[in-house]
Amino acid sequence: MSFHPKMTYGAAFHKSARDLDPDRDQGPPFEYTAENRARFDRIVQRYPDAQRRSAVLPALYLVQYQQGHITASAMRYVAGLLGITPADVEDVVSFYSMFYTKPVGRFVLQVCRTLSCALNGAERVTEELSAKLGIKPGETDPSGTFTLIEVECLGACDRAPVVMVNDAWHECLTPGDAAKLVDDLKARGEAALSGCHHVVEKK
Amino acid sequence: MDTVSLTIDGRQITVEKGKTVLQAALENGIHVPYYCYHPGISIDGSCRVCIVKIEKMPKLQTSCSTVCAEGMVIETRTPEVVAARAGVFEFLLVNHPLDCPVCDKGGECPLQDFSYTFGPDQSRMEFPRRVFDGEGVKGDVDFGPTLMLNRQRCILCTRCVRFMRDIDGDAQINIIDRGYGSEIATFQEEGVHSLISGNLMDVCPVGAITTRDYRFKSRPWDNPIAADTICTQCSKGCNTTAWIKAKPEWAKGAQLIRFTPRFNHDVNGYWMCDIGRFEYHWIEGDNRLRQPLEREANLGQQPISWQELTSKLGDRLAAAGTSNPEGVRFLLSAHASHEELFLFRRLTEALLGEPNAVSVSWRYQTKSQPAGSKFIVPPVDAPNVNGARAMGLAPGKVGPVDNDAKADVSALRAAVDAGRVSALYVFDPGPEGSLGDVQWIVDARASGRLPLLIVQGVVLSALARAADFVLPGASYVEKEASYTNDQGTLQGATRVIAPPGEAMEDWQILVNLGVALGVPFTYTSAARVRADIAERYANEPGLAGIATLVFGRPVAARNWLQASNPSERWKWDFMFQDMPPVKGHVDPSAVPMPIGAIPLKEVK
Repeated sequence: MSFHPKMTYGAAFHKSARDLDPDRDQGPPFEYTAENRARFDRIVQRYPDAQRRSAVLPALYLVQYQQGHITASAMRYVAGLLGITPADVEDVVSFYSMFYTKPVGRFVLQVCRTLSCALNGAERVTEELSAKLGIKPGETDPSGTFTLIEVECLGACDRAPVVMVNDAWHECLTPGDAAKLVDDLKARGEAALSGCHHVVEKK
Repeated sequence: MDTVSLTIDGRQITVEKGKTVLQAALENGIHVPYYCYHPGISIDGSCRVCIVKIEKMPKLQTSCSTVCAEGMVIETRTPEVVAARAGVFEFLLVNHPLDCPVCDKGGECPLQDFSYTFGPDQSRMEFPRRVFDGEGVKGDVDFGPTLMLNRQRCILCTRCVRFMRDIDGDAQINIIDRGYGSEIATFQEEGVHSLISGNLMDVCPVGAITTRDYRFKSRPWDNPIAADTICTQCSKGCNTTAWIKAKPEWAKGAQLIRFTPRFNHDVNGYWMCDIGRFEYHWIEGDNRLRQPLEREANLGQQPISWQELTSKLGDRLAAAGTSNPEGVRFLLSAHASHEELFLFRRLTEALLGEPNAVSVSWRYQTKSQPAGSKFIVPPVDAPNVNGARAMGLAPGKVGPVDNDAKADVSALRAAVDAGRVSALYVFDPGPEGSLGDVQWIVDARASGRLPLLIVQGVVLSALARAADFVLPGASYVEKEASYTNDQGTLQGATRVIAPPGEAMEDWQILVNLGVALGVPFTYTSAARVRADIAERYANEPGLAGIATLVFGRPVAARNWLQASNPSERWKWDFMFQDMPPVKGHVDPSAVPMPIGAIPLKEVK
């Protein structure tokens, strides 16, 4: 806009150190598939019109189901659907650890590191997984199959330590169990996801 | 009005129902510090420094977010509260850098002041401070075209977030990440793009958000003179403060250092727009008219003395008026104040007796703002359209009804284009372009259809360059002048600095010219002109009270706290001027007022 004063700061010197890569973060133009769009429309109906923004979490989950992680284009798309600003969406995406802004592997191994799990050897589990997969926490292996993340309490303190793989809990893990879990996932894929003990015991 | 009664620090207080404890305390002169609370935006309760003890509540409560209830008993100075508050300050300073000596906010920073007053005297923090983008000013990042952001100074009060959400209507700022990693950010670092972004500097209680315009230019104690005035760049008439640099070594450069909004509930609230805030450099720019000019054959525009100019111009105008009264026309900008409009009106009546010799023009420019914005910048880029209406110089009614009107100078343009105008006198005391399209005048002068063009103005615009006589006038900060804004409110703009070079206040130019033309003007000051306006337009509501209008004069600050962020200035009046020592456990009522302390101002 013409009324703004002109100041000549060196652009590079004053760039934020926030890890932003336009090529990676913007992503290709995003749009829900017809199926996801229908799901979104059903979700939005749960909220009164004035609180349409409340659907932001399920809307972002849909994005993540569709393309694995959430790009800036997707944030803009969701903001447009909900009538909020992209900044509002980015706020939510960056707040919650279950939303990924960078591509992740097919299996996301989330090791709980909060008190109960830590006391029961979660760090040993992380070390074992790290060694087995050859990646550090926060990284994805070169094949794009596994991502290892340390997270805070997963709400399964009675069965600590717990690792959540995608949406399924794996409980009371020893380092040995963790290594077996990785082998199992490699061999059988999604079929190796056990689910939490509630699910297991019901079967 | 429903009221509730409560006790704060042993004092019985009755306040309007629905007020918060913090508001009740502040309104009654009880000092409670605060950051995230700002009277103009919604309540958050995130900074925790306003904590107080409320009887029967198990924990200390944030006074900003607790609504007063009947019979509440509140303590703000018990040892428990003082210790807890000092603890909060210690936490606020855990990551805040100690770069006050290079920080733009230093000297007018609530964090600095409150920490001295309420905080612990040293930090027990042994760990390195959190640094986002580099130490010190290297950590400054782009925050849009007008602002810079320094994340390590930020204390995450979220005032900027709430300002954008509540006032601007477009929530461009948010907090990303969480917990210890939280930082203020715009979506993908796009920065703040808003017509009212400058207010973010005012609402920021620390030096995290600074304006590019004021950055590193000055410090509050270097600006001991600040004048309360109004902005005239559009029809809103925001109340502002003009800050003047006064350091001797800078005396050669520009004096105006910044404009900040001044609270006026009825006009602009706590805010002003970026146009009024940042577009002031033309006032002391290279393009200002500093001496009278006359066009001489083959030589172009040459400097001339006021005396010569007045007599020559008087002769030419008188000649033109006698030979063809209908051929002498006046085009006034709606930047003209009441005084100037009135004098032009009297001048034309005396000279020509011609009622429609005067046309008033202004620029109409719709500003793009978010739909939900609470601070709308009007499209009319002139302060006194309603003044022109009050004096019968522009069509329409005074008041908020005709605000959306565009200027109509088609009759004048047709007359000029047809060659029926022998002399055109243009008065344009506003910034370049604020008169609207004037290229047709320049073209008419160039093609010879307009034999005589006189321009009284402030900048050497294309129009002034085409003129036969140029009269350097005063801009809106260089004269005491009155304007009626788009709501029909009469307000005065203060003389903050002197007009440059030989430029004169416009009422004086017109009186001198009138005398040269034989009009019996006897005014010796702008106040005399206003007194005459009051007499002749006694029944005009848009001009009521013009004779007794009070102009804020430049006031030297008596202490550095007075010269602080004016949108918060009312706070200083409360917080500091009779500040008792609160770190110990001293009964404040037993502490005498310090010598020279200024008594508390009433807050409306």
